Amino acid sequence: MLKDGIMIDIRNVTKTYGIGGQTVKAVDKVSFAMGTGEIVSIIGHSGSGKTTLLSLVGGLTKPDSGSVVIDGKDIWSMDDDSLSELRNRKISFIFQFSSLVPTLTALENIMLPTTFGNYGKDVEGYARELLGLVGLADKADSYPSQLSGGQQRRVAVARAFINRPEVVLADEPTGDLDEETEREVIELFKRMNRERKTAFLLVTHSSELAGQAGRQLRMSSGSVLPFINTVSHRER
Amino acid sequence: MKTGLNTFSIAVKNLRRKIIRTALLFLAVTVVTGTLFSATLFISSMRNALKIGTYRLGADVLVVPEKYVSEARTALLAGEPTSFYMDRAVYEKVKRVEGVKQASPQLFIKPASFTCCYSVDVFLIAFEPATDFTIAPWLEKNLKKPLSGDEIITGREVPLITGDTVPFFGTPFKVIGTMEPTGMKFFDRSAFMTMDAAYTMAANSKANSMQPIDLDRSRISAVLVRVQDGYTPDRVAIRLEHDIEGIKAIASDEIINTVRKQLGGLLKGILAVSAVLWILALLMMGFAFSMMVNERQRELGLLRAMGAKRGYIFRLIITEAVIISAAGGIAGLAGGSVLLLAFKGPILSSLKLPYLVPSATVLAELTAGALVFAMITGLLSSLLPAISASTMEPYAAIRKGE
Ligand SMILES: Nc1ncnc2c1ncn2[C@@H]1O[C@H](COP(=O)(O)OP(=O)(O)OP(=O)(O)O)[C@@H](O)[C@H]1O
Ligand SMILES: [Mg+2]
Repeated sequence: MLKDGIMIDIRNVTKTYGIGGQTVKAVDKVSFAMGTGEIVSIIGHSGSGKTTLLSLVGGLTKPDSGSVVIDGKDIWSMDDDSLSELRNRKISFIFQFSSLVPTLTALENIMLPTTFGNYGKDVEGYARELLGLVGLADKADSYPSQLSGGQQRRVAVARAFINRPEVVLADEPTGDLDEETEREVIELFKRMNRERKTAFLLVTHSSELAGQAGRQLRMSSGSVLPFINTVSHRER
Repeated sequence: MKTGLNTFSIAVKNLRRKIIRTALLFLAVTVVTGTLFSATLFISSMRNALKIGTYRLGADVLVVPEKYVSEARTALLAGEPTSFYMDRAVYEKVKRVEGVKQASPQLFIKPASFTCCYSVDVFLIAFEPATDFTIAPWLEKNLKKPLSGDEIITGREVPLITGDTVPFFGTPFKVIGTMEPTGMKFFDRSAFMTMDAAYTMAANSKANSMQPIDLDRSRISAVLVRVQDGYTPDRVAIRLEHDIEGIKAIASDEIINTVRKQLGGLLKGILAVSAVLWILALLMMGFAFSMMVNERQRELGLLRAMGAKRGYIFRLIITEAVIISAAGGIAGLAGGSVLLLAFKGPILSSLKLPYLVPSATVLAELTAGALVFAMITGLLSSLLPAISASTMEPYAAIRKGE
């Protein structure tokens, strides 16, 4: 059933929330697949279910029905520890809102995921390198409260790569960045995609970022609409 | 590379973030551990003193004049000097009572406090070397010679050292040894001499001292009795009182039992107070930790998203609680010891009970016990919050905290 190179396979996934008698189908019978090293973008109105879909793909929440298969394994047939390991090893999130731990410095925040698994010795070297790649080499010892919103966002971006993930699930990763900084982040994404075959599932309103995607999903009221426009495959 | 990113350091950083709350929790554990530790130490010190004291007394039954029972009791337990006398004939009668294995007379002499230039307030106890079975074994072991007429040995709290000479009622005595501490002032504040020396001292006091004592050789204060195998001290005491007119026989386990009862009541009171304090501390910590988990839901959910396992989240919360309770436990031990030292005196003088700090082993056990207790408090109070934090769905946790 699985073709070679298919890394993420979502089938008929539904997630419903009930609030006081009313139910909201945040994600409604969504199916799609992503190959290794693919870049896919998701657009849609506020409340259309984009964040919910990302968290379903990353195993942060369990679907009511349907299956989420990553690297050929149904993640909800795994035990919690194996799923945690999978998240730690293969997946990274860049969250829509601030996601840094306030008691840790920028550098420590970037290194944090490596404390949940066995990573080699020179984690710090790589963390500093990533910090440099997002233009914050001089902020290694700053705490989140000492950083601007955009700087915090960039630290979160850098953190997403510390575990050399197979896929980055990014929710508005350039949301509060100016054009110049956004371009730096896009450069980093492109480089990781090129050098490490990292796949990206991007929720974004930025046409600049969305332009990097080979495919675009459009969400509306929890459903993925059939492709209306296929974004021209730009030179990468 | 030097970044301490382990569970412990992350836990410490979290504790520092809410320093006032951390301080309050720390204080709660300190108070509970301190109370419990000082109370237990206090009570076990009294028990210990009682055990060693009666062991040292070495007598199963103490025969005293009927009118002076309460004086005899306070003399034994609180070491308050008293003098009381009865006829030596009592001793002769005691020896013949059924169940008595050994008997030996003693004299208790309360010296005038201005005996001489020394303001040494000691209780004089005179024993008869020929029949004594309480002081003599000690002498044999430690001095290897009998006590002669001008020599005394002193209890640990008497401010005299071996070699000193001190006059009592005008007769100088030489200190030739000091007893080990017993916790019972009856022993610790006494000077021991032979009966013969005491009678001679009394006879000479009329010429030598401004405070003469009227004491002839027909008088004694008490008879110490050891019972035969197969007889209980109680039974022999009853028989003694029945057979001899005008005396009271106190079984030493009766004294102990009375004090035990007193201690038992005290212990219950202290335990009740400690239990209430403990439950309050548990509730307070439990509440604080669930609050903390609630506040940090989003952060904990993010850790889960980065690959932290349930066990990690659980350990993180527990570690924070254990750090607080270990620190609070140590502070409680220190604080409790200081309090005990400060208030021991006044409490003891109002309770009139003996006191002797237990051996190093018992002390170490008590200390370790208090620390373990503190840790368990931390563990228990954070258990539920830690479980709830570790079983939250990551996405729900992240959203709720937004
Ligand atoms: N925990 C929850 N409880 C109840 N309803 C929820 C919950 N999470 C999401 N929803 C609902 O599900 C729907 C989809 O939410 P989601 O966050 O996925 O939207 P989104 O596309 O990411 O929106 P935005 O662009 O504003 O971030 C919304 O209607 C939201 O109210
Ligand atoms: Mg969203």
